[in-house]
Amino acid sequence: MSDGPADLPEAAVRRLDSGAFSSGLTVPDFAACLDLGLQPLGLVQGFCVMRWGWYGAGSGYMRGINPYGGAAQSDGAYSEVYRCPHGFVSSEHRMWGQNLEQTWVEGAWSEGYGASYSRMIEEATALGAHGVIGVVDRVSHLADTGTTEFHFLGTAVTVEDGPPPAGGVPWTTYLAGQRLTKSIEAGFMPVSVAASMASVRVWAYCMTEYLMEGSRGWGGPTSPNEVNQVSKAHMAVIQLARKHVRQQLSGDMLHGAQIEVVKRELSQGDEVIDCTLRGNRMRRFKDFDVVPPPRPTVRLT
Amino acid sequence: MSDESIIDARAEMLSGAKSLAVVPPPSKARGMTSDLSIDEALLLHGAGWEPVDLVCGVSVVSVPVGVWNWGQGEIIVASTAHNGAVEGASEQLRNECIKVHGHGVVGVRVEVEVRTHHISVQLIGTAIRPLEGGPHPPAPFVSDLSARDFTLLQGAGWQPVGLAFGASFAYAPRRSAGDAMKQKTQNIELTNFTEAMYSARESAMERMQRSALDVGGEGVVQVKVTEGPMYFAHHAVGFTAWGTAVKLVADTHQFVQPDVILPLDDAVVTFAAQNLRGG
Repeated sequence: MSDGPADLPEAAVRRLDSGAFSSGLTVPDFAACLDLGLQPLGLVQGFCVMRWGWYGAGSGYMRGINPYGGAAQSDGAYSEVYRCPHGFVSSEHRMWGQNLEQTWVEGAWSEGYGASYSRMIEEATALGAHGVIGVVDRVSHLADTGTTEFHFLGTAVTVEDGPPPAGGVPWTTYLAGQRLTKSIEAGFMPVSVAASMASVRVWAYCMTEYLMEGSRGWGGPTSPNEVNQVSKAHMAVIQLARKHVRQQLSGDMLHGAQIEVVKRELSQGDEVIDCTLRGNRMRRFKDFDVVPPPRPTVRLT
Repeated sequence: MSDESIIDARAEMLSGAKSLAVVPPPSKARGMTSDLSIDEALLLHGAGWEPVDLVCGVSVVSVPVGVWNWGQGEIIVASTAHNGAVEGASEQLRNECIKVHGHGVVGVRVEVEVRTHHISVQLIGTAIRPLEGGPHPPAPFVSDLSARDFTLLQGAGWQPVGLAFGASFAYAPRRSAGDAMKQKTQNIELTNFTEAMYSARESAMERMQRSALDVGGEGVVQVKVTEGPMYFAHHAVGFTAWGTAVKLVADTHQFVQPDVILPLDDAVVTFAAQNLRGG
């Protein structure tokens, strides 16, 4: 399946033409949606299944056994090299280490996420939607197949008497119901869901290895010490995810961000850290209406 | 509520849709990121604050080999490593907050992982600043209070000043062979474990309270504790306590005086098939 609009399966075209609307909203969210002047058109979805490998052409795993060979990073990508303070000790000694942003992994994630998103948008556009609300996205690994499934789902809506969005591309949001109503009333219009993934691979050098396995090794300290290489990698992966998502904002705001950090340990100090950040890209269309100070209440039950 | 204060949601939606119907001019402005919900953002704004950016701090500190072996008293090296990791992560979080010109961080999510040879601490929250600007504080506050709790606290005349943290690990000393044999068939308190837990608790709580005083706090609210034996060393117990250090900034505590409400909703109605039979 390509991203082209003519690519909708024939069954999907028939379903979308059927005349009955469908919606993934709960009844309270459905009622709130009508109250806002939004007419639900249909439950729209997008799928993409990607091969999800960490090795392969172009990956840093293929760079050889020294920091000088084949590890050229694309412009602006994160990379830090750590060098052994001991000189040559043995062939097993980890004489160098590196934190490396895995741009090829991030690229694969963006491709899968972007393809399933654009397929959902394609269905919404075919319905003549102005927006998609109550978006749910799921990224799941299919067991033992080395593949990852990206799935988007949401309810396509039109704004009563409203103009279509610029370029005809529907706006999207994870919000629905009263939370969407409150955002609109506060002067924030959803533009799109925004998400990014960052991945950093840590190749531990000798000092990191010693610290992470508790060994005193060659000159390893006997008291607690910050494991700089690993701390920096963990900070970097969050900062990279934030940077990537900010590049999608074009000056707008990201509200309700959800951040998830997953670590896979490979050996002492060697690890892969992935960070996913997603939220609602919102644009202010009027001055913020200050909410009067809420009255605290105590509930008798 | 007067008619003027009622917002016409449909009209607002229409205005919002119209704003997206025109292509905005290209912007190089730095997009703001926040993990606050819309309710929290509204509450904060109502209290005179706005979110600035999502900020984080991470620190991984090593625990040397042999630290968890049998011994007596506090496992000082592990306690030092834990407190060092928290301090390191808090420092990074504060630095990120300063970089984005925030005055403090709210809703900090605290994640601690204690492993045999390292302890990692990750802090993620949203930096905020007052709407009217004002001079930057010498050190931004770090708080794990939600934006709702932050505004409530502020309304009561208090202010968060920092994250208070304390941790302690202690050995549960070996029982003598005779005691172990004797207790094998008894339902009896293992005083070595109880005492180790008490020792760890006292040290951790004291450290937490001291760290609150160090940042200028008068007390700690919303204290959370974790306790129990280490999964990788069952003869060692750990106790951690953390919360938000607060200080009174008003002349006196402002009483919130909540309204008492009595909901008139029906109790949850569940369908029971036998009711259809009547009688």
